[in-house]
Amino acid sequence: MTRRRLRTFALALVGLLAVAVLWEFYKLVGPQRGGEIFGWGILPRANDNVMPHVWDMFARYTEPDRRGSETRIWQTVLGGGWFTFRLAFLGFAIGAVVGVGLAVLMARFRVVERGLLPYLVVSQTVPLIALAPLVVSWGGRVQVGDFVWPRWLSASVLGAFLAFFPVAVGTLRGLKSSPPAALELMDSYAASWRSSLFKLRFPAAVPQIVPALRLAATASVVGVVVAEISTGLQGGIGRLVIEYARQATSDPAKVYTAVFGAALVGLGMAGIVALLDKLLMRGRPPTEPDIVMGATT
Amino acid sequence: MRSELVHPAVAVAGVSKVFNRGSANQVDALVDVDLVVAPGEFVSLIGPSGCGKSTLLRLIAHLIEPSSGNVLVNGKSASQARLDQEYGMAFQQAGLFDWRSVAKNVELPLELKGWDKKRRAARAREMLELVKLGDFVDHRPWQLSGGMQQRVAIARALAAHPPLLLMDEPFGALDEMTREHMQAELLRICDETRTSVVFVTHSIPEAVYLSDRVVVMSPRPGRITDVVDVDLGRDRDDDTREDDAFYRKIIEVREALRNGGHDTTVDHETVDPDAVGHPLLGVDDR
Ligand SMILES: Nc1ncnc2c1ncn2[C@@H]1O[C@H](COP(=O)(O)OP(=O)(O)O)[C@@H](O)[C@H]1O
Ligand SMILES: [Mg+2]
Repeated sequence: MTRRRLRTFALALVGLLAVAVLWEFYKLVGPQRGGEIFGWGILPRANDNVMPHVWDMFARYTEPDRRGSETRIWQTVLGGGWFTFRLAFLGFAIGAVVGVGLAVLMARFRVVERGLLPYLVVSQTVPLIALAPLVVSWGGRVQVGDFVWPRWLSASVLGAFLAFFPVAVGTLRGLKSSPPAALELMDSYAASWRSSLFKLRFPAAVPQIVPALRLAATASVVGVVVAEISTGLQGGIGRLVIEYARQATSDPAKVYTAVFGAALVGLGMAGIVALLDKLLMRGRPPTEPDIVMGATT
Repeated sequence: MRSELVHPAVAVAGVSKVFNRGSANQVDALVDVDLVVAPGEFVSLIGPSGCGKSTLLRLIAHLIEPSSGNVLVNGKSASQARLDQEYGMAFQQAGLFDWRSVAKNVELPLELKGWDKKRRAARAREMLELVKLGDFVDHRPWQLSGGMQQRVAIARALAAHPPLLLMDEPFGALDEMTREHMQAELLRICDETRTSVVFVTHSIPEAVYLSDRVVVMSPRPGRITDVVDVDLGRDRDDDTREDDAFYRKIIEVREALRNGGHDTTVDHETVDPDAVGHPLLGVDDR
């Protein structure tokens, strides 16, 4: 088991290395001013302004974040990543709770499923960029007692907006996929809907909930980063990407430090889901999830 | 003696079941079925596929309602009996929950009855020892063989000590050797716990070996065509399977199945086992 994990890790490293090598190889042989294939200008320019050297990107991390500043870029990027990670995690958590809640409602009441599901699907076609300013302005009006809606909460809400959908759909499918024989068994115990939800439907849905959570984790990072960019929220990795991208003409390698930072946030969320996976799938058969229940029909 | 003990374990009176009444695919699954199972009695239902065996079992379990007629379990209406968990059920698939340990699977019906943790654990252990799986309490279902899984399912069905056990081809997926072993175990367990059993099977030898009575059914429409008393005594073991009396009963059930509703009588005393062909062949109706 650990051997296998070690191999997976090594393979991932090799994959990253291969990308770096490919990048440098293209810089070596690619056309400096771009190229055309059959008249289409699709070959990217290989010069240092467009494709900086991989080592230049990493070298930036130790440089000051702006002229005369004490903080190094790696500190700024890590700080921004941590900020975004917390927002994304909150968005993920809200999305997961809302998604599971909606799935339970839909599994319980057919009317809700038929009335709600189409709107959930439509909701995901609304462009996030258009939605972000709306959420910010709605949030600005929320004031319950001492609670004042902070600006960053809008970003989390937008993360949740993308995250809840896969969770709702995956959980609903899982809740409805309990084997008929198992449902009949619960019936024979005269179990209430609540009991069969917690003792059968939920646990039986876990193998479908986990991949849904994986999608939700990525979605929440995308949602938060896009929200940061489009609402001008300071402090996160999304803001850094924009800021460094503006300096690309003078320092093309710098923006990549922030891009890698965003990737790190995504990795962090993936790690959270991997932990959840381990926790939720504890004691289950290692490969086939339904080995015991079997396919009854 | 308390009065509830004198009620029949099951009393099915004039029960019919029609699926999809009035539509093109209407099925008369059961027509005018009467069946009484005495307390402690072991009754098998046998018959070709589609003759309504599972339907009859599900009616007794109150998983479906009869179209007409009346079902009593232990003197109560079927619906009340289900609420009171007067019966346990086991199917062809063990149907264990793979996210629960073996012991927790057995505890499931007790959890639903609201038993506390300590009492549940004690009963689960007791039941698992009864089915000789005392060493597998903390195992996961998927770590057990098919026969062991089926024994866990039986332990689960009996965990609340119901007076009645309903089984639908529980050994159908097991190999022959495991199957015979499980049959002997089931008889021992039911004797120890004094449980009445209604047992659906395809196999004639299985029905004869296990039962006090074999109820023979036939399809289209599903009904009871014959009832064969199996007076082989309660102490049955591997030698029983090689008894002449055992063979004669197998032939009797086989004849009843072949006649399936036709009114021919066979003088069972004069039948020569060799002349009837293969008495050990089951009803092939898959
Ligand atoms: N829920 C149902 N809806 C419609 N028809 C059913 C249903 N359950 C059983 N039947 C029909 O009733 C008949 C008896 O079925 P069943 O009791 O399962 O037979 P057996 O268990 O003896 O093989 C079959 O023709 C079957 O197709
Ligand atoms: Mg059946």
